[in-house]
Amino acid sequence: MKKVIALLLTVVMIVSSLVACGKDSGNNNGGNAGNTSGNTSGGSNSGSSETNSGGSNTSSDEKINLTMWCIATESDSNRHAYEAAIADLKAAHPEINFTWEATQNQEYKTKIKAAVAANEMPDIFFTWSCAFLGDFVDAGRVYCVDEVYKKYASELPEVMMGNVKYDGKYYGAPLTMNIVAMFTNLDLLKEVGYDQAPTTYEELIKCCDALVAKGIIPFGCSGKETWCVTEYLESIIEKTAGASVLNDIFAGKATWKNDDVAKGVEIFQEMIKKGYFDPEGMALSNDEVKANFIAGKYAFYMNGTWNCADFYNAGIADKIQVAEFPVIDSSKSKMGELIGGPSDTLAVAASSKNAEKAAEITFELARSICKYGYLDGNGLPAWTPNYDTSSINPLTQTVADIVAKSSQMVLFGDTAMSADKANIYLDYVSQIYASAIDGKQFVDGLAKDIQ
Amino acid sequence: MKKVYSNKLTIFLFILPALLLFLLILVAPIFMSFYYSFFNWNGFGKKEFIGISNYIELFTSGSIGFPKALGNALLLAVLSVGIQLPIALGFALLLGKGRKGERGFLSIYFIPVLISTVIIGQLWLKIYNPSYGILNVALRALGLDKLTRIWLGDIKTALGAAFVPILWQYVGYHMLLMYAGIKSVPTEYREAAMIDGAREGQINRYIVLPYIKPILKISTIFAVTGSLKSFDLIYVLTNGGPLHATEVPSTLMISMLFLRNRYGMGSTIAFLLIILCFAFALIIGRIFKDKEG
Amino acid sequence: MSKDIINAVNNDIRKDSIPARKFKVKEVWVYFIFIFWALINLFPVYWMFTFSLKSNTEIFGENVAGLPREWLWSNYERALKVGNIGRYFFNSVVVAVSTIAIVMFISLMATFALTRFFWKGRKRMNQFFMLGLTIPIHASIVPIYVTLSRLGLLNTYFALIIPYSAFSLAMAILVCTGFMQELPMELDEAACIDGCGAWGIFFRIIVPLMKPAVATVSIYTFLQCWNELMFANIFISDSVHKTLPVGVQALSGQYMTEWGPVGAALVLATFPTLIFYAFFSKKIQASFIAGAIKG
Repeated sequence: MKKVIALLLTVVMIVSSLVACGKDSGNNNGGNAGNTSGNTSGGSNSGSSETNSGGSNTSSDEKINLTMWCIATESDSNRHAYEAAIADLKAAHPEINFTWEATQNQEYKTKIKAAVAANEMPDIFFTWSCAFLGDFVDAGRVYCVDEVYKKYASELPEVMMGNVKYDGKYYGAPLTMNIVAMFTNLDLLKEVGYDQAPTTYEELIKCCDALVAKGIIPFGCSGKETWCVTEYLESIIEKTAGASVLNDIFAGKATWKNDDVAKGVEIFQEMIKKGYFDPEGMALSNDEVKANFIAGKYAFYMNGTWNCADFYNAGIADKIQVAEFPVIDSSKSKMGELIGGPSDTLAVAASSKNAEKAAEITFELARSICKYGYLDGNGLPAWTPNYDTSSINPLTQTVADIVAKSSQMVLFGDTAMSADKANIYLDYVSQIYASAIDGKQFVDGLAKDIQ
Repeated sequence: MKKVYSNKLTIFLFILPALLLFLLILVAPIFMSFYYSFFNWNGFGKKEFIGISNYIELFTSGSIGFPKALGNALLLAVLSVGIQLPIALGFALLLGKGRKGERGFLSIYFIPVLISTVIIGQLWLKIYNPSYGILNVALRALGLDKLTRIWLGDIKTALGAAFVPILWQYVGYHMLLMYAGIKSVPTEYREAAMIDGAREGQINRYIVLPYIKPILKISTIFAVTGSLKSFDLIYVLTNGGPLHATEVPSTLMISMLFLRNRYGMGSTIAFLLIILCFAFALIIGRIFKDKEG
Repeated sequence: MSKDIINAVNNDIRKDSIPARKFKVKEVWVYFIFIFWALINLFPVYWMFTFSLKSNTEIFGENVAGLPREWLWSNYERALKVGNIGRYFFNSVVVAVSTIAIVMFISLMATFALTRFFWKGRKRMNQFFMLGLTIPIHASIVPIYVTLSRLGLLNTYFALIIPYSAFSLAMAILVCTGFMQELPMELDEAACIDGCGAWGIFFRIIVPLMKPAVATVSIYTFLQCWNELMFANIFISDSVHKTLPVGVQALSGQYMTEWGPVGAALVLATFPTLIFYAFFSKKIQASFIAGAIKG
């Protein structure tokens, strides 16, 4: 038996060294191939692009190949913005041979991680800012865009770059930004005598009680997708404990053990207990909940402002009001403290053969994707608009006003934290939604498991 | 002839492709999983050696909940042996006696085995749908509104609801194996027993069951190891939710790997699963041997 | 043991082996149970087929379990066009056929060495291969994933074909061994006298005689690949190479609220197997029995 084990071990060692060799030689091959093509075209171009970025169209036969991966699949609401932006790019840069590929959100996460692990990333890739991109930056796989950003700083305020800044350096270009908002079905509210969304917490509670008494479900929230619960919970905590407190906790600068957070959680659970939430929501996906809201099953739906375009296109914009969640504890929080921020980002792979050119293209693309996305109503611009915005749907315009008046934003918790921590956090949030734990257990548990 | 059939090089060449595939894809990964299980690693960054911390964390951390996932898998194993196999055996005995249409029935009962578990899962998702699913619709039609549930969304019912299709799907598989065994019982044995005046129950007990014992062993091993590594249906139906109520080791492993970026921990779970499967296969084999002896 | 069983299944069952008895109440109950269980097993398939042809209004209230009032073949059109089911179907076929070919070839070669040749340790080698029957695929997921990603093979057919082949290998060798041992050595000797070498014997004598084994192994391997989810889900993330289980899963996520096209996709993924089964049910069952019973 010992012999067998020893034999197996040697075999395994040989095998694993084979695998390692395979990897090395694979990389060498890739490197060589890269070098040869780089010598003929890429090398000279990446040199020239610095001196005369406009002049590179002189040699159209020496095209630069750039590849981009993103999540704008055909069913994605951002699809049109990407297509329009890429068409513009191709027209403006004939010297670039641009190819792109869109993968569905959830699968994309796996795909891009695998590509990072294999160091076979595309030149430009879509990513979520903060922790998601941060892991890749830590691994040294992302190209620093400090130099290129300088050229665009006038159009892209520094405050929008906060989520792609690691150790004082910038690693990406933000696209659109979104916040959490409370969408209100005014038709249903009219049935209980309201003609607009309640602006104070007390009023909101009264309104909900009236709705419940009338047999109308106030809120719809998917329990199957925990991020939907955070849209509610984070807003309530923020309006109870204050934006700065929540920000520090997400950033790991303050402990979860905070009585105000616990209080916010309990307020949320109180609302569930009073029957404000559709009990079937626990088993529904967000798409199903959203469809229910559009069909007029719920009075309120709290979710990201990317929904504006969908509600507008569904033809219900005129009976929908979009508003901020009211303040719960006015001594700690105030109107204008929001959940959200720029998360969608384009970044450049450090391994790109034409990283510098790619970085420039990335910023140009980000700018126009942002513009078209904003015009389509998919979110708010991270870039300062310098174009006519009057055609934008009224819901998105209202959101723009809300954001313009905002004083502080807290980025979505699951984006702000690293994958492991974010999932622990989501776990606790789902337990809150199911009322399996209370506010105290929530803060104690998170303090223990995350910090 | 002997010369042709003892050439070492020829032997080597014939066996090499199979051996290589086997070692590379089946054997080496077990050792590699074992190796990774000692590291804190996100899949692309640096590996950090942390000894047996993963194993300790796995069994102690409340936020991972491995003991509960393992408990669920073991419960499934118990239910498989306690419910699925007896149903299969009962039908196999009834069918194996030689009734009209037995092949037809057997063929029908085997259909769920052939359908992809993803499809079975999607179908049951629709059956369980709280608003439009056939189960709640039927309950409402019968005036049993009180019994309607959010089957897969309620912590109390989710585990049971997820287990039903798993147990149901493979009844036909075990039934087929047992039926085949029963059919191979020589008819003389039966006839002799009948001449001696044995009743059907006695024939089954003293002749058929001992004869098909090897098959019962295989079925038990498959049911238990299959439960330990169950993945597809749980993944499609609940993916471990709500609140980890239906978590099993495989779904936990996948979420460690691809949601939480913890390759080291994922490998730890993978390695433990293999060990468990081997251990249970050995134990069950031993139990059946003892009974024989 | 295993041979007895397989023979028993393959042989025609003597229906009147047990003397006909008087009509009994008990028999009625037995058939009642049989039919009841058959309905439980058939109903999901029937329901899937009917709702694949219905509109949401029918599925969601007017006509939950009946035959469709209006046969909406457009659901199928959408599943094929928007849901890309045709593509996934093609991918599944490519993966399954390639896997079967590889498994067949490699396992026949190995079995040849294991059954015909004289060498020390061949028994041990055989036992070693049989270990493969018990190894769960989970074990290999991380290492294979890491290796595939380093080799840049994720999102290619190879990412599935290679592991599927490896995991079907043990079963294939087991089945082939059973069949190959039955071939008399005289065949080899005659061929040897005619001047055939080992390779000649293998390709000209043995392989052509292994057709029954090929059928059994192919069926078993086919169903394994056709239905596998875990590897397919993780090693393939682009829609170009997705197999049916993953494609169906993705489609249902996309059309959460529209059941018709999802039902159509489910039917399209299932019916080829079922139709095949209707014609070859015995053969298919026999391959499962052979796969389970090691003797």
